[in-house]
This record gives sequence, structure tokens and C-alpha cells, in this order.
Amino acid sequence: MSSQITLTSSDGVDISVDRTVAERSILIKNMLEDLGDSGEPIPIPNVNEAVLKKVIEWCEHHKNDPVTATDDDDNRRKTTDIDEWDQKFMQVDQEMLFEIILAANYLDIKALLDVGCKTVANMIKGKSPEEIRKTFNIQNDFTPEEEDQIRRENEWAEE
Amino acid sequence: MEDNAELESFRRQWREEVTRRTKSAAATSSSEASQSAAAPSPAVAAANASSKLPSRRAAGARKDLAGESSLPNTVATEELTRQIERLRVTHEHTETEEDVFTRRAQEEPESALEHFERAVEKEAAGNLGDSLQHYRKAYRLDAGVDKAYRNKHYSHSWKKPVQPALDDLAPSVKETSAVPTEEQIPLPTAELIESFACLPVPGAEPLIEGDVPPPCPIANIPSEVLIEVLRHVALMDPAALARMSLVCKRFAYHFAHEQSIWKDLCQHVEFGLQGMHYTFACDGVGHPLHKLDQVEQYTPFPVNVPAEIPKPLSSWSQVFQCYPRIRFTGIYISTVNYSRPGEISSFQTVSWNSPIHIVTYYRYLRFYPDGSVVSLLTTTEPVDVVPYISTENVLAARPTTHKSYPRHASSDQGHLHGGSTEPVPSVAINALKHGLRGRWRLASPFDFADDPEDHSAPPSAIDKSPSFDPRDVIVETEGVDPKYRYTMHLSLRSSSVTKAHPNPPRNTKLAWRGFWSYNQMTDDWGEFGLRNDRPYVFRRVRGWGLK
Repeated sequence: MSSQITLTSSDGVDISVDRTVAERSILIKNMLEDLGDSGEPIPIPNVNEAVLKKVIEWCEHHKNDPVTATDDDDNRRKTTDIDEWDQKFMQVDQEMLFEIILAANYLDIKALLDVGCKTVANMIKGKSPEEIRKTFNIQNDFTPEEEDQIRRENEWAEE
Repeated sequence: MEDNAELESFRRQWREEVTRRTKSAAATSSSEASQSAAAPSPAVAAANASSKLPSRRAAGARKDLAGESSLPNTVATEELTRQIERLRVTHEHTETEEDVFTRRAQEEPESALEHFERAVEKEAAGNLGDSLQHYRKAYRLDAGVDKAYRNKHYSHSWKKPVQPALDDLAPSVKETSAVPTEEQIPLPTAELIESFACLPVPGAEPLIEGDVPPPCPIANIPSEVLIEVLRHVALMDPAALARMSLVCKRFAYHFAHEQSIWKDLCQHVEFGLQGMHYTFACDGVGHPLHKLDQVEQYTPFPVNVPAEIPKPLSSWSQVFQCYPRIRFTGIYISTVNYSRPGEISSFQTVSWNSPIHIVTYYRYLRFYPDGSVVSLLTTTEPVDVVPYISTENVLAARPTTHKSYPRHASSDQGHLHGGSTEPVPSVAINALKHGLRGRWRLASPFDFADDPEDHSAPPSAIDKSPSFDPRDVIVETEGVDPKYRYTMHLSLRSSSVTKAHPNPPRNTKLAWRGFWSYNQMTDDWGEFGLRNDRPYVFRRVRGWGLK
């Protein structure tokens, strides 16, 4: 019953995966529904092998999760915490973290995208602007005058 | 006598020269003229004196003297005149071309136009001879010099298009002058932020010049994902979003323009308006009430109706900014200083100094999202007690006879960071002994629909706030004696707007409206005077109200 399908990563590597696991991706699910399972490998042109494997690992672990309705944002909104397994899963270097986020966005895996965004948000909260810049290697593109102007404008939200 | 004739002719020439110079100087400016007139007079006197000396030897000596001492005076006069002329030149040119005039003032005129200009100046100064010389030189160099002169100095009055042409000639000058003015007059903030739209998140420069820049993968994610990240940051702590807006221009743009984030925040229970209570959600000591019948409760944003931005406001960020909102992420502190005369020693018949005590005490209020509150009146300073103010610690600090362990743990998420992980210092414990538990709510428009026989409110409260003000907060707590209950009427206020803080946080102060005690045994209301009381001011406390 659980048929295997093949995904081809952007660097040309074929990866076999359970159809139910792959269908965590709404993109792949819709594609399979629209085109039917021809047995042909499905190309995933935006995701390389390492990232695709990581994404599949996540999907494997979460294959039995109830699928949340896509337009019901309330569940996601209410909870800001990440379960333990996901926290461990997201302990990767920053480039991989954002690669996973990009892949989850492209493959339309909302729950994974959410975990990724929360992980990034956790890296941001409690930090000063300069610490945030350091964490993500962001350059300060404000002039001192502009920075001061924005600081005064946004002061109301600081408490 | 040949020598004498020679001397005489020299004197005549010299006097003429002096008079001429004096006159020209006088024409230029009267004050300068008096100076320059005063300068040559001793020289003239010296020359006159020398004429009275008959001896040839003496005359020769005088001649030498005149050559040595009087001539420098003449030179000085000449120099002065020239300086005055330069002053005029300087003045004339400052308005038109700034970087050229300094060089011109030091140099002798060279081009036809320069000669013409100098001639005009001399003419204006009444020095016709010099003026004519310069006019002649100018016309010899360029027959059409008058036209050039008019084009240069008076073109603005009849020839507008000449100006841009001039500007084109010196674009670099124009640019350098335009940039500083732009910095001096900053863009209105809204426009400034608008200009940040679509800017990339800038990656950091490499530590060593020429090295590969450090990876900045956050710059690669699309806007919709970045906004999701910002949304999560906002829902974890809105203040973190404010700090994030100072990281780079792109974040500042999303902070100002991503209204869906602000809408989420408004509807958020922890930070937003959905967490506000408009009827008491707890009993008198802060235990949650379990209502059997779900009475329709007032809320400015009912859940089942699509949320709309309330009328006078135009954005959700404004709603979040302006709507009356109790903060759970910190403490409200009212600091009261008052002085009272101290006792004069009875051993002194004459008191040279009568002591005055300055007493400082603090009122603290910590609000909880579940509708409970902790109130504390103490002289203990904030640094010693604030981190430990919580319902649990207030109960723990009480004498064991009164100790009761209510089912509170679930309602107090923020407290985990407060005191339970570390022992509470004794100074805090001593202060917390006087902590009072209670409940809070915001005023609701239905407060005034109640019948006047309602005994739940102090009788004079209506007099104090005769109409519904959505900023009003009602806090009820235990009394010091179990038979009393306290009722505080407070009202949310904002810090004043100053030039340095044009946009301060709103509704972070609690002003007093009234303070009553209620005797439960006798059904009596008593009013406390508020002579010394100061508004509560909100201060964030690390870890409170956050997960």
C-alpha cells in the first residue's frame, strides 16, 4: 500500500521515500494528485541532496502528525514553543537552518517552516540590535542619524 | 639749493598722494577713513617740521628719515585701503561663488572680467583714476567685457535658464553642497521608512579586507518567510521586535508596514488586548472564577466578529500602541517621597536645627494575565524586592498560620523565572510579608449601566469618574486586616512627549483616581487620602510574562 516514490535533488541525486512521508509536502502532494504516480522521479530543482535528506528526516518523524488545516493559523499562533525532537533537529549550522527554511517554504511544509522560523526567532529574542547583527552577520546600513530617527520613532514599542 | 628743490617736489608729490589716499578711504567708509586720515597726519607733521629746518645736512637727514619712517606709514595706508577694498570684494562675492573669492581677493586682476570688476569696485569707492585704468585694461583685453560682466552679475534678474547652465558647469560642487543639506534636514520618518522597502538585508563586511565576507544566509530568505520570523519574534516579546527594527533598514520597513503582525499582537492573549479583563476573572484573593453560565462579556474585539480597526485609528500598530493595555512583563512602581518634621530634642531650649525626615516608600503592583494581582506597600527599594514579587512568594512569606496553598501554579507562568529557582533573600521576604493578593479589571461601558444600589463599588467612585473611560483600571485586594478589602481606582496614562522622546510608550503609567477601604463586617466604605501618592510607572522585569 505504502508506495515508494523517488525525488531527484538539485544536484541530481535520487532519493527514495514513502509516498505518505513525501506528502507532508503540499507541493509534492498536489503534484502527485494532479499528475498521478507515473513512477518517474520527481525533480526538486531548488533543494540539494543534503538539505532534501534533512527535510525527509523531519517528514519521517512527523509522518503521523495530524495534518493541520492550512488556513487555520490559530494553532501555530498560540504556541511558540518547539518540541524537544524538533529543537535537536534544528541544531545545525546557520546556513543549513536557512536552507531548511527555504526548502520548507518551497515544498510547502508549513509545520517545518514554522519550526524553522521559531528557531530563528529564538536566536533573535533577548538580543540587542548589535548582538542580532553579529549573530546573523548583518551589516548596519543605517546612518547614525537614521538609526537615531528610527529609534525615536519605535520607542513606543520597547516596553 | 638743488637738493631743496628736489626735496620740495618730493614733498608735494607725497602730500598729493596722502590726500588722494585719504579721500578714497573716506569715500569707502567713514570710520575707516578717520583711521586712515589719522595715520598719515604725523607723517605730514614730520614733513612740515622738516621743511622748517634750513641746514642741508639736516635736510638730508630728514630726507632719509622721511624715506625710512614716513614711507612705511604711506605703505600702511595703502595697505589699509587695499584691505578695505578686499573686504568689499569679499562681501560682494560671498553670495555668489564661495570658493572663488578667497583666491581673487589675494590676486591682482588678470582676465578682462576681473579688471572690469576691480574697476567697478574702484569706481564705487570714488577712485576714478584707478578705476579708469582697470576699465581700459579690461576693454583692451576684451571689447565685450561689459556684457560678460552683466551676464555674470545680473543675469539672475532677466535670464533664468543661465543658472542651470552654470550648475552644469560645476556638478561636483552642487553635489557636495546638496548632500550635507539632506543630512541636516532629515526626511520625515514615514518617508524614510518607505525608502527602505525592497532593500536587501545587508551582509557583514569581512573581518579582514579582501577576505570572503562571512555568510549571511538570512539575506537569502524571501520576504514572506522573513515576516514569519518577525511574527514569531513579536509573539515571543513585542519589545524584541522593536529592537529588531534597529538592526537594518529592511527590518525597520517590515516593523512599520507589516500590519498583520500588529493585528496578531492585538489579538494575542499574552501581550495583546485579548488578555485584558473587563470584568473580574478572579475572586477577591486572585483565584480564578469558574463561571457556570457564560455571560456575554464586554471586549473591544469580540472573537466571533472579524476584527476591525477602531475608528479614529488607521492601523493595527496604532491600536497596539494606543489601546488601554495592562502589561504583564514587569512591575508598576509608585515612588512616594514625603518629608515630615522630626522631633526636636527636649534637652535643647533653642533649636538651631529642627530635623526633617524624608521618607520614601514604594507601592508595587504586579498584574497577571489571569486577572489576579499582587499589591505591595513597603519602604524596601525596588532592587531588593521587585524580582521576587509574585503570588507564590507573597504566600510563602506569610506567617505559617495564614499559609494556604491554593491551586495557583497554572496561572503563574512568568513566576518560574522570578524566585522559585533561587532562594528569596530575607530582605525581600520581610517586605513580601505585607503583600496583598487581589484582582484587576479594566473599566467597561457596562459599569455605568448598573443600578445605583450596587454595593460592589465605593459610593464616591462615581463622583470621581462620572463617565466611562476605557483607560480606567479597578484593582481590588485584601486588606491588612482580614475584615477589610481595598479598592483602587487607577487610570492608564502615558509619559509626556518630549523632543528627545517624541514617541514614548503609551499607557505605561497608572494615575490615581481613588482609594477606598471596605469594612466587610459593617458594610462601611472609608476613603484614603491621596495627598502623597504618585502615579505608578511601569518597568520591565527580566523574564516576566515571557515564555
